[in-house]
Amino acid sequence: MAKARGTDGSLLESLPWTLFALVFSLVPHFQFLPWWISAAFIVCGIWRFSIEKRRRPIPPTWFRGALALLCFLGVLATYSTVSGVGPGSALLAIMAALKLLETLKRRDQFVLLFISIFLVMSSLLREQHLWSLPYLLVAVFLIMTAWLRISSAAGQKARRSFSTSGRLVMYAAPLAIAMWIFFPRIATPFWSVPMDTGTGTSGISDTMSPGDISSLSLSDAVAFRVEFKGEVPAPRDRYWRGLVLTVFNGRTWTGNDPFRGARVHEQVVNSGRPVEYTITLEPTRQQWVFALDMPWNWTLERTFMGRQQQLIRARPIDQRVAYEAVSYLDYRTDVDLTEFARSFYESIPTQSNQRTQELAKRMRNTAGSDAAFIEAVLMRFHEQEYYYTLEPPPLGNNSVDRFLFETRQGFCEHYASAFAVMMRAAGIPARVVLGYQGGEMNPMGGHLIVRQSDAHAWNEVWIEDIGWRRVDPTAAVAPERIEVGRSGSMFNGAGAAWGFDMPSVLLHRMTLYWDAMNATWNEWVLGYGPDNQDKLMKWLGMDDPDWRKMMLTMIAIVIGIVLLISLVLSLRYRPPKRDRAAILYKKFVRKTGIEPSTGETPATFAVRVDGESVMPAETVDAITSTYLDVRYGPPNPQALLRLESEVRNL
Amino acid sequence: MQSGSTLEKLPIGKDSDRATLDRARKTLGTIILGKDGQIGLALSCLLARGHLLIEDLPGLGKTMLAQALARVLGLSFRRIQFTSDLLPADIVGVSVFRQEKGEFEFQPGPIFSQLILADEVNRATPKAQSALLESMEEYQVSVDGNTRALPDPFFVVATQNPADQIGTFPLPESQLDRFLMRLELGYPNEENERELITGEDRRSMLEDVEAIATADILLRLQKAAAGMHMSEPLVDYIQALVRQTRESPDIDIGLSPRGALALVAAAKAHAFVEHHSGVYPDDIQAVFTVIAGHRLKPAGNTTYRSAAELCQHVLDSVAIP
Repeated sequence: MAKARGTDGSLLESLPWTLFALVFSLVPHFQFLPWWISAAFIVCGIWRFSIEKRRRPIPPTWFRGALALLCFLGVLATYSTVSGVGPGSALLAIMAALKLLETLKRRDQFVLLFISIFLVMSSLLREQHLWSLPYLLVAVFLIMTAWLRISSAAGQKARRSFSTSGRLVMYAAPLAIAMWIFFPRIATPFWSVPMDTGTGTSGISDTMSPGDISSLSLSDAVAFRVEFKGEVPAPRDRYWRGLVLTVFNGRTWTGNDPFRGARVHEQVVNSGRPVEYTITLEPTRQQWVFALDMPWNWTLERTFMGRQQQLIRARPIDQRVAYEAVSYLDYRTDVDLTEFARSFYESIPTQSNQRTQELAKRMRNTAGSDAAFIEAVLMRFHEQEYYYTLEPPPLGNNSVDRFLFETRQGFCEHYASAFAVMMRAAGIPARVVLGYQGGEMNPMGGHLIVRQSDAHAWNEVWIEDIGWRRVDPTAAVAPERIEVGRSGSMFNGAGAAWGFDMPSVLLHRMTLYWDAMNATWNEWVLGYGPDNQDKLMKWLGMDDPDWRKMMLTMIAIVIGIVLLISLVLSLRYRPPKRDRAAILYKKFVRKTGIEPSTGETPATFAVRVDGESVMPAETVDAITSTYLDVRYGPPNPQALLRLESEVRNL
Repeated sequence: MQSGSTLEKLPIGKDSDRATLDRARKTLGTIILGKDGQIGLALSCLLARGHLLIEDLPGLGKTMLAQALARVLGLSFRRIQFTSDLLPADIVGVSVFRQEKGEFEFQPGPIFSQLILADEVNRATPKAQSALLESMEEYQVSVDGNTRALPDPFFVVATQNPADQIGTFPLPESQLDRFLMRLELGYPNEENERELITGEDRRSMLEDVEAIATADILLRLQKAAAGMHMSEPLVDYIQALVRQTRESPDIDIGLSPRGALALVAAAKAHAFVEHHSGVYPDDIQAVFTVIAGHRLKPAGNTTYRSAAELCQHVLDSVAIP
């Protein structure tokens, strides 16, 4: 008869801890993982636990091997690669789940906990939120606890494991902080994390086809934060210039190659007062750099101004960057436009949107001058039945015609597109600028938050002797969109949407608080790069900091901290002998001048001392009985005080 | 202190149970003269719920001590004289067929008493000995397939003559372990012996003694004794003592964990009997010889002549924390 070969149930005690630590480490990945991996993970966890509970055998080797191969192919099929953060963590997660199915010994559980640590750390490759650090700490704490549960003798109280692992994390914290501060930062990392392309691209795309999107999603995510050095410009002046679209094919606006740039000082003539500010731009995975219209100076490296006064960086912004910039609200640019350039900015496909073109020509004739014509078009948007909506109907071909004469509903892109087409049809050079408009001041952090929902499209028209002028047709339709900004209205009813009856003002304030904390976190923790490190080192008194000095300092500090912790621990450890009563008694023994022998109890020693008559027998007996009471009886502070005075009075 | 304490110096306990205990001890002292330490140890043994083995030469008052204990503590008492022809049924009892009822009826043996004096336990055959020793461990006896519980409290006080006498079956180590303490009485000193010779007959004195405690009081006292405070340094001390018995070259077999537990229980009971605020080192030292003496197996080449000497040597070589 075959021998029963089930598990022996010995892991029942520690397995739940390990499972919990593993799941906790996986939670930050859940939103990115394909659903089947999360599901497989949970199934494997429950399966393994029930195997242990019912003392069933674990699945056979061939089955586990086949399952592993299947899961590997599944990851390959889902991502069509196995390298990169996404497939990497997916593989890690699914293999951890499968490892559960062959976990039989303590050693296997240690492997699982190693994987947990790896999972927790790899979640930082995706996101580094404000709450990531506390979450990470808790995860490490739980993993340590599970570790202690596995290695400690059975029957140790859970509270004891928790407090031990809490202490261990606490001891490690100063080491981690010292290493974080002093480990030399380098401008370009040795390695680069292969980011998943195609996912996570947020913000503005580099083309615009107003008819295609039937609804614009209002993302609350922060695009960038701005800290002004001086006065903050009024909302209507806050046009954050991004990219410029110049070519229209009847349906889609695109830009042209921005890299044939020229120097900013050759393109722009500024006047008035400069506006100085610092922008912390969230990663966009694109090359566009945003600045207040019109930028004059900026500190972001490898960033140039293109021919249409758009800022572009030589490599995509794949991590958060901060840069200082100077802009002038009052400027002139391209006052002399060549014939070729003029015709470039006036060209539209003649076959499409013909009704619009006819309308534009007719209106231009009626108006008499370019300026009057621009005014007339804006008035048309303002006075006729045009509506600003975020959910416009689709437009199809001849999108401008359909928008202007039929649907009459749209958001900034529709108006900017229609306006530019009308201008070009009437022979006025025009182009579309994409960027952000407005932004919300955060009184807590003192900075301006520009969200993805502040994305905006507006126009620039070229006027003889003046150059490019900004015209915002959306302002004609929905002036409040420009004057107040969209953010302010976003929180109306937000509380109700979440199902709780919270005043929206309070909710809004909380959001702002959270944002202020995030801004500080970004600036001081995530933004701690080579520049900040250099500044901090100089501030700490290190002259001419280089990596050798920082490395040596770090090693010295780490050794110092380790020594300090050991010292504190060795001081805190008090062998039972050294307690107060024992010290006092020792003093008394020294005073008698008689050496107690090994194994002689205080009582027998007292008899011997009394026999020698070195001090009054009452004193000896009193001290001895008090000492026995203090040291071996239940806690008794009064007796300790009595012993102290008795010994002092000797 | 320990050796110098006289009965008069004993403080009267606050609560009545303690006072009863003190009075019982005092009364025992008037019957068994000059053996205050042994009386304290015997009481400690009973308070620690342990069985007592008294080993000494004949005529030193072993039986008297057992009888006096039963009398003073108000326990039902039976004496079993162990002889080489004693059968287990003589101890636990036997089922007798009743003609009139037509069924077997169990006739309980002397073991169904609260205090048993097993006199000269090493004279009986191992078979009879084990019948007693099993009941000491299990607190129950099985007769004809029926399990019968023994009364509570249940104490066995066994006496034995030193093994070098003729016609004895020495108890093996495993069975000696059933006894919490092994006590030696020793000769009385001159003064006490004189009083013994000239004074009243001890047997008639014993008959006049009234029961001071009851079984209920004894159970309460046992509970209180088990709750005595044992400080951390003394736990270290006990561990050091036990380690020393295991590591000493003079000892072949050291104290088992059960021996260590016995030491703790006995020390607590002794501290209780002596009115200490917690377990003192003196309590451990006082019970160490009687606890460890019969549990240790001395090495063949040891220079120590008796278990008591060996135990004293262990005590002298371990520092008190």
